[in-house]
Amino acid sequence: MTTETTRPTRPSLDDPRVAIPGSSSWYEPAPTPQTERQAEFLNLRDGEMFINMGPQHPSTHGVLRIIVKVNGEQVIDLDPVLGYLHRGVEKLCENADYHQAICYTDPLEYVSSLFCEAAPVAAFEKLMDVEVPRRAQYIRVLTMELNRIASHTLFQGWMALDLGGLTPILWSFIERDEIVDMLAALTGQKLLYNYYRIGGVNGDLNHEFMSRLGAWMSRAAKHIDSNLGLMNENELFVRRTRDLGTLDAATALRMGVTGPNLRASGVPFDLRRDRPYLVYPELEFDVPTRTEGDALARYLVRIEEIKQSIRIIDQVLHEMPDGPVMAKLPRLIRPRPGRAFGAVEGPRGVYGVYAISDGTDQPFRMRIHDPSFVHLQLVGPLTRGNLIADTMAVMASLDPVMGGVDK
Amino acid sequence: MDRALARDLQERFSDRLLVPVRQRHDETEIRVSLANAVDTLRALHDEPAFGFEMLIDLCGVDTGDEMQVVYHLAAARSADWLRLIVPGIDRAAPRAPSATFMWPGAEWMEREAYDMFGIIFEGNRDLRRIYMPDDYQSHPLRKDFYLADDASRSPAAGVRNMERAGTPRDATAATAVRRAKGA
Repeated sequence: MTTETTRPTRPSLDDPRVAIPGSSSWYEPAPTPQTERQAEFLNLRDGEMFINMGPQHPSTHGVLRIIVKVNGEQVIDLDPVLGYLHRGVEKLCENADYHQAICYTDPLEYVSSLFCEAAPVAAFEKLMDVEVPRRAQYIRVLTMELNRIASHTLFQGWMALDLGGLTPILWSFIERDEIVDMLAALTGQKLLYNYYRIGGVNGDLNHEFMSRLGAWMSRAAKHIDSNLGLMNENELFVRRTRDLGTLDAATALRMGVTGPNLRASGVPFDLRRDRPYLVYPELEFDVPTRTEGDALARYLVRIEEIKQSIRIIDQVLHEMPDGPVMAKLPRLIRPRPGRAFGAVEGPRGVYGVYAISDGTDQPFRMRIHDPSFVHLQLVGPLTRGNLIADTMAVMASLDPVMGGVDK
Repeated sequence: MDRALARDLQERFSDRLLVPVRQRHDETEIRVSLANAVDTLRALHDEPAFGFEMLIDLCGVDTGDEMQVVYHLAAARSADWLRLIVPGIDRAAPRAPSATFMWPGAEWMEREAYDMFGIIFEGNRDLRRIYMPDDYQSHPLRKDFYLADDASRSPAAGVRNMERAGTPRDATAATAVRRAKGA
């Protein structure tokens, strides 16, 4: 009689792996599909296999896991898995008062957090029917455009890094550090500023901010141009990004794409023009668009936006009036019951907050709309049929920030 | 405020608007019932008089009595954004039609609304949880969901916990009861 040791079918009760018959190893079975689309995705044909990218992959701009279905080196399909950074900010805001809610939204899109503040502040100001003083409006435009430049220069470095170039990120951090130091002198924080208030801003411009800004402005355009030479004239970069992940205007509109990604597909939609807020109608600037809709176009649109932002800052510094920076408001904000959607044109697209007030001092519902969340859906459709390395190039060109995606 | 837009909407959809068109700041708001939602979205998107081609946002709202699905649309004709509210969705078994037939980009926003409110969007091909783990049981943004470690919660089983007065003793007792129940 043969003595056969019976091997358990699973390593432990909470381990999803099961035993492979006739072998000493384990394997993890594919999850049971819950939807039609997932069933399609989990169905492997001949020669196909799954590869996990992330959650800690350095090129995912945060904590994102992508399950990639590959055939050799070619991407057949992919399925992003979100939620690793989910903090439940919407729920937290419902349990905080209006002032506290603003600083909860700060860490969402951590590379451009002033926009995350500007959107709820705009929504709450609409609920309160409050007029922001002119000087505060100018200060908001000034700081938001600085933040946009910081975000776009960082994008430039990230994009190169995801394509394998190490130098541009070091250069773009020089630019970004100067802006961050400038804003730190103004707000006291380097990353999560918490500077905007309902009805104005927290404190007027100070001397250190102005002197740093003046010094930076005198050489900003030159610096940014020299950074550009590193990438725009780099044949490897241009040839890898041209005609990669092409998005046409009709698809972009149907997918809900906004911001530079939409403008790179030829739709000149910019909230600063099309749904004006603050003092933007009085300022002179262009809305750069391109028609190609590929990764290179998305990159070039952002570069053009940096130049327009410098132009806006120049005008703001010349035209900024004197006056108060806060409107007169009660300490406790209790808007009348109502609904408002505050939106700003962020560096990634429309950043919006839909706030519902029920007359108490806490928002009844605060919906945060993040453009990165919408754009991340495109990674699948745009990379199908390309190589694995192009996944990262497409993703970098869409510029999602996982802090915003996961809320 | 775009008065012409309000007039056009009122004329075109007079048969199905639940309340007259409302306008405040740069937003125009209409309400239609669940049965008319798809037709209205299609008309707003397709008819050249409106041309609301962009879906800016889709979200769920739990009012405590009912569920709502709220669409924010943008068009080239107007600086005003249109807010389409579909109220009166049953809170016990919320179901709504999917907008993915028109805007495939709504897929993830509907997944989020499903994850957070439990609203089932009929026609969405990939309606599964997006933020919470797959084996998670409840829907966090519903008003009857409690924050796990909310020390400031009052004993009243209400929604607006910071609004209600309660002594710390009561709050502790309530927390203990809730933990004992495993909630």
